[in-house]
Amino acid sequence: MNIFTGLIKGMISAATPILLAALGGSLTYYAGIFNIAMEGMMLSGAFFAMLGSYYFHSWPIGILFAILGAILMALIFILFAVVLKMDEFITGIGLNLFAVGLTTYMLRQIFSVKGAFSDPGIVSIPKVDIPLIKDIPVLGEILSGHNLIVYLTLLATILVSYIVFKTRFGLRLRAAGYNRTCLDTSGVSANKIRIWSLILCGVLCGLAGAYLSLGYVTLFSEGMSAGRGWISLAAVILVSGNPTGIALISLLFGFTDGLGLFLQQSLPSQFTSMVPYLATLIALFVYSMRLKKKLTV
Amino acid sequence: MKRKVLINVVGILLAFLLGALVMILQGYNPLETYFRLFEYSLGSPSKISYTLTKSVPLILTGLSASVAFASGPINLGQPGQFLMGALLATIGGLYIDMPPVLMIPFLLVLAMVGGALWSGVAALCKHFFNMSEFITTLMLNMIADFFTFWAISYPFFEENANYPQTPLIAKNGWMPDWGNFGSSVLVMLIAVAIIWFIMNRTTAGYEWRISGQNSLFSRLGGVNVNKNYILVMLLTGALAGLAGGLVVMSGPHRFIKGLGANYAWDGVMIAMVANSGVILTLLFGFFFGILQTGSLGMELITAVPRELIQVLQAVIVLIVVAGRGYFETLFAAMEAKRKMKERTT
Repeated sequence: MNIFTGLIKGMISAATPILLAALGGSLTYYAGIFNIAMEGMMLSGAFFAMLGSYYFHSWPIGILFAILGAILMALIFILFAVVLKMDEFITGIGLNLFAVGLTTYMLRQIFSVKGAFSDPGIVSIPKVDIPLIKDIPVLGEILSGHNLIVYLTLLATILVSYIVFKTRFGLRLRAAGYNRTCLDTSGVSANKIRIWSLILCGVLCGLAGAYLSLGYVTLFSEGMSAGRGWISLAAVILVSGNPTGIALISLLFGFTDGLGLFLQQSLPSQFTSMVPYLATLIALFVYSMRLKKKLTV
Repeated sequence: MKRKVLINVVGILLAFLLGALVMILQGYNPLETYFRLFEYSLGSPSKISYTLTKSVPLILTGLSASVAFASGPINLGQPGQFLMGALLATIGGLYIDMPPVLMIPFLLVLAMVGGALWSGVAALCKHFFNMSEFITTLMLNMIADFFTFWAISYPFFEENANYPQTPLIAKNGWMPDWGNFGSSVLVMLIAVAIIWFIMNRTTAGYEWRISGQNSLFSRLGGVNVNKNYILVMLLTGALAGLAGGLVVMSGPHRFIKGLGANYAWDGVMIAMVANSGVILTLLFGFFFGILQTGSLGMELITAVPRELIQVLQAVIVLIVVAGRGYFETLFAAMEAKRKMKERTT
């Protein structure tokens, strides 16, 4: 039983950052932006979360800093891709590299360390016990006692789903992706919608970053986003942006991550670390097979 | 042509200006810092040849990305292909020994095969299952990273080493050095020349470029798009693999953990800033080599952390590419205005 609950808890905590970033990616996906900058936004968020938490000894300020740091990246994306009309793909790659450079440079400049920085002064985001539910035998163990961000993620999934499909902003968001000229001619600036979608994506990726450096572990290391932004992009593409689908796919990736840890007893760790990336490839494979079937029928 | 040069130079200067601003804000002297940067990498003939040798992997991975982007496939797998090429060349150098005349070409071919195998996996995924190479190459990068890490920690681990690495490869497989000038530069120049010839003087290169610009048009014109796609993927993988092999054979002569980390994304960055042109890739590859080599001297003398160069590189890419698009529309608008005037008078 212990392995079972451990596996599920591991799955949820590994899925959280991917899900958050993918929700941000979903918003920009609906707005018709080829946004591959989630990796950079997440990394920047992780760094600033650590910075805020370290200097103010408080995790809420850490989260605030993370969101601002990720929004900074989103603003740069907006400047180049929306205002200067640069290719979104190149902007995204450039921004990801900029985020890697910036965080490594600041890590070196502010903390005089290379590689990673951890300090007892960094306050991590607390875990939350839900009253009543935590007393239920197995279910309580699974549902309660997670990091605060995990519950925020659940909320964000519902919220994003609601915003995209049930609000006026969501309608305009989808219109911006579907036919932006049409949206422009009906008196709503498609660019404005695109800008908002990118800023919201920044907020969500900032939360994902805060979870990485203040939740998953309590430290910042160079390039700690470790391809999660790319996996979340794959998740967005696999389900064509649908938030509920994204949640399921993220949980699946989280599960493979936990599975990797579990397999470590019998395989070298280098192979078990490959599991999430292999899972992404397999998911892409299944997706394309399904697409092929649809096309031939 | 002149205009193109101007746009690139203005972009680079703007990026440097931004970098200077950051330095001033942190209390460094930007002029001295930049002087040290270039002095360290270009200050004397031997320094120049050292910098040139150091920029070989940058130029080759850049070439790989350039050829791919110009021909259509979004091959972002240079880091992985680089590692697999380096690994295969290392394994060849560990178990086989021949006179250098045979050994060096043999290892270079092995390195190219290693890179091509890895990009071939992505190409097959696309060909048979229609999986986008854009994500598969990225995932294969991560997998290659862990795979080579495993290979140098278990099967090819040097006994008694306290760091994951392989033993030294056979001495006959080392690239000869003349002072600071490594012979890998010659291999790189030959590769650049061949690629330039293929891209600009052969039917295949023409077909690739047309497919890159408009896949549908080239298909209607009778180009075998699928065959070309696989060819380009294999070729670009081979180029990245060659870079890996050369680094092993001319540098540490063994596979050390973190071998490719420094070149991870530089190839893609160089291809983007060079607008996928072969000659511009060579120039920008060398330029990034100057920055990276010089950053060491900069840090030694002026205490500005060398990580600043990473930031500067990304800023250069963003500004040069954005500037190119912006100026081009600006020039087009000016041209249109002038023509309007000519017609009205």
